[in-house]
Amino acid sequence: MNLRRILTLSSRELTLAAACLVAIIAFSMVSDHFGTATNLTTILRNSVELLLIGLGMTLLLAMGGIDVSVGVAMGLAAIGVGKVLAAGFGALAAALVGPLVGAALGIVTASVVVLGRIPPIVATLGLFGVFRTAIFLWLGGQWLSGLPTDLTAIVSSSFMGVPLMAWTIAAAYLVIWVALRRTPFGPHLLAVGNSETKARLSGVSVRKVQFSAFVINGALCGLAATFYVATYRNVEMSIGSTLALEAIAAVVLGGTSILGGRCSLVGTVLGVLLIRILQNGLLLVGVPSLWQTVVTGGLLIAVLCLDALSGRMPVSIWRRRPA
Amino acid sequence: MALVTARNVTKRFGALTALQGVDLDIRKGEVLALLGDNGAGKSTFIKILAGAHSQSEGELRIEGRPVSFSSPRDAAEAGVATIYQELALSENLSIAENVFLGREITRRVLGVPFLRSRAMRERVAELLEELDAHISDPAAPVGSLSGGQRQAVAICRALNLNAKLVIMDEPTAALAVAETRKVLALTRRLAERGCAVLLISHNISDVFEVADRIVVFRRGRKIAERERRATDPEEIVSFITGAHPDVRALEQANL
Repeated sequence: MNLRRILTLSSRELTLAAACLVAIIAFSMVSDHFGTATNLTTILRNSVELLLIGLGMTLLLAMGGIDVSVGVAMGLAAIGVGKVLAAGFGALAAALVGPLVGAALGIVTASVVVLGRIPPIVATLGLFGVFRTAIFLWLGGQWLSGLPTDLTAIVSSSFMGVPLMAWTIAAAYLVIWVALRRTPFGPHLLAVGNSETKARLSGVSVRKVQFSAFVINGALCGLAATFYVATYRNVEMSIGSTLALEAIAAVVLGGTSILGGRCSLVGTVLGVLLIRILQNGLLLVGVPSLWQTVVTGGLLIAVLCLDALSGRMPVSIWRRRPA
Repeated sequence: MALVTARNVTKRFGALTALQGVDLDIRKGEVLALLGDNGAGKSTFIKILAGAHSQSEGELRIEGRPVSFSSPRDAAEAGVATIYQELALSENLSIAENVFLGREITRRVLGVPFLRSRAMRERVAELLEELDAHISDPAAPVGSLSGGQRQAVAICRALNLNAKLVIMDEPTAALAVAETRKVLALTRRLAERGCAVLLISHNISDVFEVADRIVVFRRGRKIAERERRATDPEEIVSFITGAHPDVRALEQANL
């Protein structure tokens, strides 16, 4: 209890942490390779993009929003990074292009949702289609591959023994945590997630909050793109196709309400780790990779069912409070 | 001098006249009850005061200055706070966060507005203490409070906005007996602090318990204004239903 208070973890977060541990122990017993330092590092490396996108998705769900185009938005930003890198503009320019393209896409999404007054799930589904095709057109039917290594060298470096990617994620986490817990943005975001009408009557500028959340989310997708290109040095057609599902599943697993009004950043981090551990472990014990999205989708549905049954969800999603 | 002076306030929605030539004064430190049957024009009148509608004719003055509100925000800035029947509180936020929602106390560091959470909690604790609301923890979520306690939080919010006029729309409609008593006591205390309180209610006994004056609307007109001491529930009910001889005479004359 005392430790729990110090860490200020909810029972949901503790359960998730326990689930991660159990999965690690179980997979280690079945597979000799799972528990090796190399493999555990791989799991962490594979979590980088999803962690960043998950943080953005946490803000959106907490606000009663959602974005199903995060994967393809990352894809578009990745092409930007790749093209800049291939054109020889150097690592720094390439690194910055990711978040910039991401934020620009975030502004597009925010404009459609907020100014067009279109429900976010529909608006981002439409944009998903647009972005998807934009990826095909921009790539021109060819992968970007064999990109220069200058960005890779910087991104894979370490500072004080900790990889730069880990520092970046920690910084992003800290900034978002401070914004949520220490500035008016937090209560405003959660008030909007609870009820737009009540938030407006209380003097919250609902549109400003919604706009900011979508732009932050876009910038984080772009940052993920920078890390993706730096690590894999290629951009393929199907880039990011499972990311939206994985991000929503991780965030909901973490205890953020799909209906808005409640969020947990720690929960999102643990949710991402659990998904990546399961995917990696199942692959190692011989489950075909085709089943990965089945597991992720199944987890999402199972968690939502459990939440509904245990009364964590205030009202049925079908009878949502009027926005 | 009256805090709010309404003169000849009229509101038309197309061909329908919802409010016809209302003259009304609301004084500092009094609880003024506004009664009337459904469709009498009560809601239209408070919406004009709260800035949600603007009047078609007539004049509103606050502390002698003519005002014209084009939004609820305008009204709030002029010192009018409205406590809606469906309270505009966020259940998932704490009491203190609700009281300060939209106007948090912050300290800017490098341009970033950081919440001064402790200062806000202390201010809310003070207000709750002053109201004798029996809520000990300003950090508790509003979702955990009873209906009466939520009214107290909404009243705190109004006080914190330095409201001069607090409009309470059916504050006891959804409350149990004990809770109703508390909210009525809070209403009295608001008036004692020097606020003007405009109370809308259907409950005659509640009105007789807290109001200093009673005004009755019927079919868009003000038809009666009484000091509470100078009237009784029967007379007020007969005004509301139109059974009172004066009302009959008035309605005959207007036909």
